Amino acid sequence: MERVNANWRRTLLRSSSVILLAVAWEWGARMHFVSDFLLPSLSSVLTRLFEDIVSGDILVGLGLTMLRTLAGFTIAAAAGIVIGITIARIRVIRWFFDPVVSVGNPLPKIAFLPIFILWFGVFDWSKIAMVAFSSVFPVVVATWAATESVDKYLLWSAESLGVSKRQLLWQIVLPAAMPQVFTGLQIALPISLIVVIICEMTMGGQGLGGSMMTSMRFADSPGVFSGIVAIAIVGSLVVKAMELIRKRLLVWHEENAH
Amino acid sequence: MTSSGISFNGVSHTYRPPRGRPVLALDGVSLEVKDREFVALLGPSGCGKSTLLYLLGGFMPVETGTISVAGKTVTGPGPDRGVVFQNFALFPWKTVQQNIVYGLEKQRMPKPEREKRAQELIELVHLEGFGDSYPSQLSGGMKQRVAIARTLAIDPLTLLMDEPFGALDAQTRTLMHEELLAIMRRTPKTVVFVTHDVREAVYLADRVAVMTARPGRIKEIVDTKPSTGSRAEFIHTQEYTEKVDYLWNLVRDEAIKAQGEH
Ligand SMILES: Nc1ncnc2c1ncn2[C@@H]1O[C@H](COP(=O)(O)OP(=O)(O)OP(=O)(O)O)[C@@H](O)[C@H]1O
Ligand SMILES: [Mg+2]
Repeated sequence: MERVNANWRRTLLRSSSVILLAVAWEWGARMHFVSDFLLPSLSSVLTRLFEDIVSGDILVGLGLTMLRTLAGFTIAAAAGIVIGITIARIRVIRWFFDPVVSVGNPLPKIAFLPIFILWFGVFDWSKIAMVAFSSVFPVVVATWAATESVDKYLLWSAESLGVSKRQLLWQIVLPAAMPQVFTGLQIALPISLIVVIICEMTMGGQGLGGSMMTSMRFADSPGVFSGIVAIAIVGSLVVKAMELIRKRLLVWHEENAH
Repeated sequence: MTSSGISFNGVSHTYRPPRGRPVLALDGVSLEVKDREFVALLGPSGCGKSTLLYLLGGFMPVETGTISVAGKTVTGPGPDRGVVFQNFALFPWKTVQQNIVYGLEKQRMPKPEREKRAQELIELVHLEGFGDSYPSQLSGGMKQRVAIARTLAIDPLTLLMDEPFGALDAQTRTLMHEELLAIMRRTPKTVVFVTHDVREAVYLADRVAVMTARPGRIKEIVDTKPSTGSRAEFIHTQEYTEKVDYLWNLVRDEAIKAQGEH
């Protein structure tokens, strides 16, 4: 009981700034500092969100959005890790990708949107491709750096224990690089979310971003705000899930040694 | 029994860092270590002891001179030469037990046998109850003992140890000395043992090689095998004290030279 109380208190304390902002929002809206249209009250937005959940409207949109996000993110993760490793280990690949990465990494990937529409159409594939393209860079960079900085003594000691050169990649390099690679993935995931919403807003095709634009066209501001609240909640849940997976996967790492 | 004598022949090594000047770390080292002989390397910090061990381990190419083990020129690393690294080099994602059995897995030892062997080694290095801990949860001295156990697990013919007891407290160190000597009696090995501790070198080794300040050369080799009796008695003899004093002076001279460089 004590423990449960303490846990609750800690959670409450950590989310206190969010609660404070929520209270300020509700209060500000009720005082009518601005019109209801510009800032609907939090309670009306939550009511709306609840209705949309019950009617299933938002779940379909959310589902589509998350599907696109995770599809793009998974492609980015797989491709990014493979590219990162091969850049670090194969000279030709490095020769090819080094300049591509230095130009592509800081580039605002959204600039490619028209081209992606042209190539992949306006449906799911162009959105997924856009997400993957935008999220792949942090994964490549993190994997590349991680693979290159693997402690040489780990490789040496593995070899002197009888590990063959071919086994080194899977058995030593990858696990040793894991913490940094995972950090890359944790950077890529929010990017995936941002890009998917932008794509849905500009290309339509349902999803949360799409329905928010529709709501705006119908001057339905609670609809827009409920979309924001929904994506904020789901986004923070997904990021939290990544943190938990990290804790699980990297139990051995210093960051988790108590 | 296979023979495993080591021979260094005019070995030099230059480090070429990507930035900065090349560093001549070793300059014409020649040294013979006989089969099943225990040779300790003493020398001031930075004189190239680790470098010599890494070359013998086959981790870096020998550019000048040759190194051979059991008559064969060293061309790469292999489990015939077990290495205890100065910085332990444990696999942080493996538990103590998994670290220790890793080399045995590579030798395709069956699982029950592996686990039995790991248990013996964990007891040998006094880490009972830590088999499931990760290296990040261990103290420096404990990590060092895991590293020793991991290398002993594969029972190599040749042992290369780089200050293997450096992180241990005096009591544990004494215990480990006895364990090492016992292992040597049971399964004699050829050992190259780097240390800063002159007493440890004289106590454990058959011969002690003193290296000069950088660039490292062999300055002098001193016979430290007790002329009579066991090592346990040796430590109380006049002969032991004299050898420690003599070697200590040699090392001190080189350490002063190394200081003077800066
Ligand atoms: N990777 C490297 N790049 C450049 N120089 C190096 C490198 N490693 C070692 N050196 C140089 O080579 C010399 C010998 O280094 P080494 O590590 O073999 O010394 P050591 O005798 O083992 O010292 P210690 O007793 O402190 O461990 C040092 O002076 C160092 O400056
Ligand atoms: Mg050293």
